[in-house]
Amino acid sequence: MEAYRIEHLSFSYPDQPSRVLDDISLSIRHGEFVTLCGKSGSGKSTLLRHLKSGLTPHGAREGDICYEGMTLAHVEPRRQAAEIGYVLQNPDNQIVTDKVWHELAFGLESLGFDTPTIRLRVAEMASFFGIQDWFHHKVGALSGGQKQMLNLASVMAMQPSVLVLDEPTAMLDPIAAVEFLETLKRINRDLGTTVVLSEHRLEEVLDRSDRLVVLGRGRIIADGPPRSVGDTLYRLDHPMCLAMPAAMQIGKALQPEGGCLLTVNEGRQRVSQAARGHVRPGAPVPGRRSDPERTPKTALQLREVWYRYAKTAPDVVKDLSLDVLEGEWYSIVGGNGTGKTTALTLMAGVRKPYRGKIMHAEVSRPMALLPQNPQQLFVRKSVELELREMRAATGATKAEQERRISEVVELAELGAVLGRHPYDLSGGEQQRAALAKLLLLEPRLLLLDEPTKGLDAFFKTKLAAILKKLNDKGITIVMVSHDLEFCASHADRCGLFFDGGIVTARETRNFFAGNRFYTTSANRMARHLYPQAITIEDVIKQCRPG
Amino acid sequence: MSKRNSFASLHPAVLFAYFAAVIGCSMFFTHPLFQALSLLGAFSYSVLVKGRTGWVFNTLYMLPVLLLMAIWNPLFNHQGVTILFYLDSGNPVTLESVLYGASAAVMFVTVILWFSCVNAVMTSDKIIYLFGRVLPAFSLLFSMVLRFVPRYADKAREISLAQKGIGRDVSQGSWLQRAKNGMRILSILTTWALENAIETADSMKSRGYGLPGRTSFSLFRLDRRDAAMLGGMAILMAIVLTGAALGMNAMRFFPSIRTAEPSVFRTAALVAYLLFCLLPVILTIQEERRWKRIESSI
Repeated sequence: MEAYRIEHLSFSYPDQPSRVLDDISLSIRHGEFVTLCGKSGSGKSTLLRHLKSGLTPHGAREGDICYEGMTLAHVEPRRQAAEIGYVLQNPDNQIVTDKVWHELAFGLESLGFDTPTIRLRVAEMASFFGIQDWFHHKVGALSGGQKQMLNLASVMAMQPSVLVLDEPTAMLDPIAAVEFLETLKRINRDLGTTVVLSEHRLEEVLDRSDRLVVLGRGRIIADGPPRSVGDTLYRLDHPMCLAMPAAMQIGKALQPEGGCLLTVNEGRQRVSQAARGHVRPGAPVPGRRSDPERTPKTALQLREVWYRYAKTAPDVVKDLSLDVLEGEWYSIVGGNGTGKTTALTLMAGVRKPYRGKIMHAEVSRPMALLPQNPQQLFVRKSVELELREMRAATGATKAEQERRISEVVELAELGAVLGRHPYDLSGGEQQRAALAKLLLLEPRLLLLDEPTKGLDAFFKTKLAAILKKLNDKGITIVMVSHDLEFCASHADRCGLFFDGGIVTARETRNFFAGNRFYTTSANRMARHLYPQAITIEDVIKQCRPG
Repeated sequence: MSKRNSFASLHPAVLFAYFAAVIGCSMFFTHPLFQALSLLGAFSYSVLVKGRTGWVFNTLYMLPVLLLMAIWNPLFNHQGVTILFYLDSGNPVTLESVLYGASAAVMFVTVILWFSCVNAVMTSDKIIYLFGRVLPAFSLLFSMVLRFVPRYADKAREISLAQKGIGRDVSQGSWLQRAKNGMRILSILTTWALENAIETADSMKSRGYGLPGRTSFSLFRLDRRDAAMLGGMAILMAIVLTGAALGMNAMRFFPSIRTAEPSVFRTAALVAYLLFCLLPVILTIQEERRWKRIESSI
């Protein structure tokens, strides 16, 4: 029997003519690991919310949803609470209580279990998830990855038979995300829990999934095992192909008739195969944008900068020296908690170092910092007001301001959302609205903290295009990012940040070619033959005959 | 966390009973010997729990309060038969009112010291647990407040930092400007809180919040040591309270000073009260010595 059977489900929000879900039929078997993907706004979240009555949005609905052969609406709330576990995107918002142990017990308290039962279940979960070390901690002291793990554990404590997760790793750094997905796979494999997951980190999740469902404009475009779904997408030449893992993209480009690939290892073998006939190993890659004529004037210079949050606290930024050239796109990559974000706030002048010097080429032209969470910049009721309120800061005349606003609105493609509340925008739109706000300052130097966090492949491309345009206009960009693929495709130079300082900084291609582990998956597939090929396009270009 | 001490590891209900009893006694026993014992207990335990900060707090703040209150009383209270001297205003300063002031001051300081111990020992989860027994909804509410208040404070800080990052330093400018900026941050914080509360509510609902028959879980267990401690405390209290009932623990100040005659039973009540007040210190030191012994035998 199926866990879920959805038949001809259509849904639209009140007062909106277009359907968010359009005639969806889907059945999910017991113990399946189903991944749902699609562009932002394709109806993933709406569909997932239909899997639990308490979370189902209001609106016009047609069709049936059955859980265990029974109409979902008739399954009693207590059973739904216990058997259908739900994990949302934001790790912080889901945590209700102040202590880890209390959070683990929250659901069980609601279900009315007695103390000995809760004690046992909580102990079980803490052991399964490796929580015993921080069992007594306050939740505020946990990292994002730990928080999301706690959310999963506190749902699992209720021993659900189905887990529904709505982009659970969107706010996590890559390492925490992989750990989370691995735990999810373990739950699925060892406990037989059915998993329904929406995700845009397909690179990590596809080879863990039994089944991939692709949504587009509220309809199911493809449904089946990941490899055959890949085939379908390529046959349709669907834009979602660009969101597929690097291995699949490279594999399909090199051998369109061959099966879909999911892992780096498979991709590596196909690259070797393709190379045998055509290109001799080690052929040089066409150079990237780098004109030696450009006078290397520094835009920003840090000399032996030290910083800590309090007198007795440990140093967060240690002996950091760094030169950013005028008009350059500089990326800082590195692990979590190494002080990257703090370094960025130092560069922006938000915090002051206790030792060392920070020098800017042009003091008169401002710089602007885009925080990790763009919401922090919004203080008004609509995007338009948000942009207008920057006039006070720039001191421009009214006419000039209008001209500038229309310029940035066009650049950031905000025309359609000007009247909306900034909090109602999607992640990608929020990112662009915040960027537009910064651009009104006409900064020479843009400091970006994880601009691609939580964005899907399409919004990333869009953001990259905007940043590229700005960069071409001569705006210097310093970016902190975990997204190696993004850095490899767009940055001029990359620096590896570790233990409070930049360990090494090189031209992007050399940077990634020199790293064995800390590099893009495309590079890992091809580095045995073409160490200089760092993006998917590079690899494909190298392997193609002629 | 403050230093480990074995008294604080007792069950919250035992701790609550202890502090309620000792603070109650300190407030009602006016006999100087009883007062001195309670002060001794409170002082030594507060120093034991809080270390150096305990010393600083006790001497720097409590000593002046003590002296001030002792001097204050005779200036306004002129009851009593033993006149020491007359003030310029013609009012008499009496021995009884001086002693009464001193006694009230000692009582005040002792109670404050006990409360500072309560503060150090009764951490939030213990208070939540205690109230949760009475009102289960309260315990969750309290826990949520403890989660959300620091979270909002952090968020406010983040927003003001982000504003600084676009050249808008909200901590600078005239007070009017600062107030305006503060209001703006408060307003956006409210929006943010409401926005995120929707997701929190979803998460609560999805985990069955609102179903009838909610229970309240805690990590505390009343073990044999707690029971024994509760029994011991009850016996000591019984002796002390019998003394109180016989009027042995109080002192009459006005019009003239009078206390109960010394007797064997009064001595028993005093010894029991001494043990009671020093209970936290005795337990803590006892465990420390046990550890020393264990360590030295390794």
